Amino acid sequence: MLQEESDISLIIAQIVQKLKGSNLYAQLERQAWASLQRPEIKLESLKEDIKEFFKISGWEKKLQNAVYSELSVFPLPSHPAAPPEHLKEPLVYMRKAQGSWEKRILKSLNSMCTELSIPLARKRPAGDQKELLNKWNEMGTDEPDLSLFRPVYAPKDFLEVLINLRNPNYENGDSLSFRTHLGLIQVPLKVKDIPELKECFAELGLNTGQLGIDDSTQVPPELFENEHVRIGQKVLAEQDSAAAQQYIRQGSPTALRAELWALILNISSQPEDILYYEQLKTNVIQHDLLVDSLIYKDVKLTASNDDYYFVFEDYLYQVLLCFSRDTSVLSHFAYNSASPPKSYIRGKLGLEEYAVFYPPNGVIPFHGFSMYVAPLCFLYHEPSKLYQIFREMYVRFFFRLHSISSHPSGIVSLCLLFETLLQTYLPQLFYHLREIGAQPLRISFKWMVRAFSGYLATDQLLLLWDRILGYNSLEILAVLAAAVFAFRAVNLMEVTSLAAAEAVLADLSTLKVMPLLQIFLFATVT
Amino acid sequence: MSRVSVPCHVKGTVALQVGDVRTSHGRPGVLVIDVTFPNVAPFELQEITFKNYYTAFLSIRVRQHTSMHTPAKWVTCLRDYCLMPDPHSEEGAQEYVSLFKHQSPSMTFPKWLSHPVPCEQPVPLLEGLPDPSRVSSEVQQMWALTEMIRASHTSTRIGRFDVDGCYDLNLLSYT
Repeated sequence: MLQEESDISLIIAQIVQKLKGSNLYAQLERQAWASLQRPEIKLESLKEDIKEFFKISGWEKKLQNAVYSELSVFPLPSHPAAPPEHLKEPLVYMRKAQGSWEKRILKSLNSMCTELSIPLARKRPAGDQKELLNKWNEMGTDEPDLSLFRPVYAPKDFLEVLINLRNPNYENGDSLSFRTHLGLIQVPLKVKDIPELKECFAELGLNTGQLGIDDSTQVPPELFENEHVRIGQKVLAEQDSAAAQQYIRQGSPTALRAELWALILNISSQPEDILYYEQLKTNVIQHDLLVDSLIYKDVKLTASNDDYYFVFEDYLYQVLLCFSRDTSVLSHFAYNSASPPKSYIRGKLGLEEYAVFYPPNGVIPFHGFSMYVAPLCFLYHEPSKLYQIFREMYVRFFFRLHSISSHPSGIVSLCLLFETLLQTYLPQLFYHLREIGAQPLRISFKWMVRAFSGYLATDQLLLLWDRILGYNSLEILAVLAAAVFAFRAVNLMEVTSLAAAEAVLADLSTLKVMPLLQIFLFATVT
Repeated sequence: MSRVSVPCHVKGTVALQVGDVRTSHGRPGVLVIDVTFPNVAPFELQEITFKNYYTAFLSIRVRQHTSMHTPAKWVTCLRDYCLMPDPHSEEGAQEYVSLFKHQSPSMTFPKWLSHPVPCEQPVPLLEGLPDPSRVSSEVQQMWALTEMIRASHTSTRIGRFDVDGCYDLNLLSYT
């Protein structure tokens, strides 16, 4: 068999294997059995008739959406000889760096445990369980003493690690020369330039209508907005994930956004999903984890202080606590360069039957983590649906923002893309900022790690996240960061210190993201 | 058709360099790796698999025995096959690669691709999709062959994270 055909067979085999364990498979089987009653199903042409039935009843579309979802999330199968760690991250030095970083985090968490004499996890006493159940919907009213807890790490700690990443096979001279990278990131990953970005983000071009630009009050809605809304409704009626993903590149109407995102992420709230969420809630009640305190602290420090998001404080606790108990998240570590931390049941150190992951979902939250959830609260009010959407967003996109990998949407590539865009298209600004000790990445890093959540106005943030979903890539975050610098270039050229530069870029809440992106990509003379 | 790996001896790399190796400081860009097959009867080579480490272009030359009376000659099977589309960046730098023989029944020793393969990125576009019934029979074989499929687990929906109801943990483990 030709190489291409065997590649496709491999992909099909992998997807079939994955879907076989899913609810959809069980549902399709049930539907197939039930369809035997129907008059149009004949024994002689059983296979064809059932396939036809699936097509008409919309089940084929559901299957298509599930397959499309798998293709979007899972990387293509790699070479048969490649070990599992190669799928997580192909470059050995990046894997090692991620391993060292993780070890630092584990040490930090362990020392917090020993200092505070608090166990990582324990069974919650019955009285506490009852109390927590009673105030489940208003955990925000609780004011536990969290002063001794500190976040495990903050984005700036992570940035230092990325700055020190080196490829042992890359030589650019012992001393700083014109050949060394001018920016902070020193690894030679491939990033796109503006011509390539223009091709990639073609739908953001000047001749294509955009929500965020062509729906402003001065523009008559007949020109673009009305038609775009009509198409959106049609896409939703068809329930086609791929079409929704293509559609949302031009932005989503506010009224349709919740449904469109759910369609693209292939989330449908089945009774099993609600049941699963309730089970997670039970797990939260039964076991008390140290990360719970970290989550509380993070929400109190970030979302609760934010004008847009403080109203959702209670939702955030619910979602994040349940998230940390969700073992289905563990499956994303197959393609994440990170690995879940391990521990042993007390007194059973070293015995593999008593080895567990901690927290159950393998994700240790850092300072600002709750901001990944906060914007979603504007769209989804039902806790289990909100939870499902967040979980899917995390295992598709957000995990890449805090793990070290060579993936084009990984934070390292985003940082390099940002720096390269700035150096190439705003060289004077870049040079000036470097000279005054204000390396641009030090300012923009926190925006990208949080996918701009908490920095932009919410409506603008949602327009940005529309495009993340539409293009299935986080590169737009780096482009926006560069566009923001370009927009404020005049002011930045006048500052003479890092503090002053930060002040110029402290407040992004008035920015309109789509015009900035469009101008930077399509209207700047290169 | 079962496939068997052929024992081979891979010699160390030798740099191709003009001038005295000891005195000149330049780093050569071309390295040669000799691969020999001691104590092996003539075989039909199907596939060469290796892991790349920052090699941009690969050429393969084979010393071919055609008959007892003619001397063995060197044949270039692959010339400048592109492994890294941009040698200054990490793309393809540490990838696992397989090179297959081109179907050529007349030779006892396979005739390899005699012209360089274009360096565009993989995922070649197919004219149409493969025949489904043929694919599904190949899929069965793939399942047997692919380590990845066997190793992967179908995700259990309601997974337990505790051991017999107990989840009392003190410290994280570093190993």
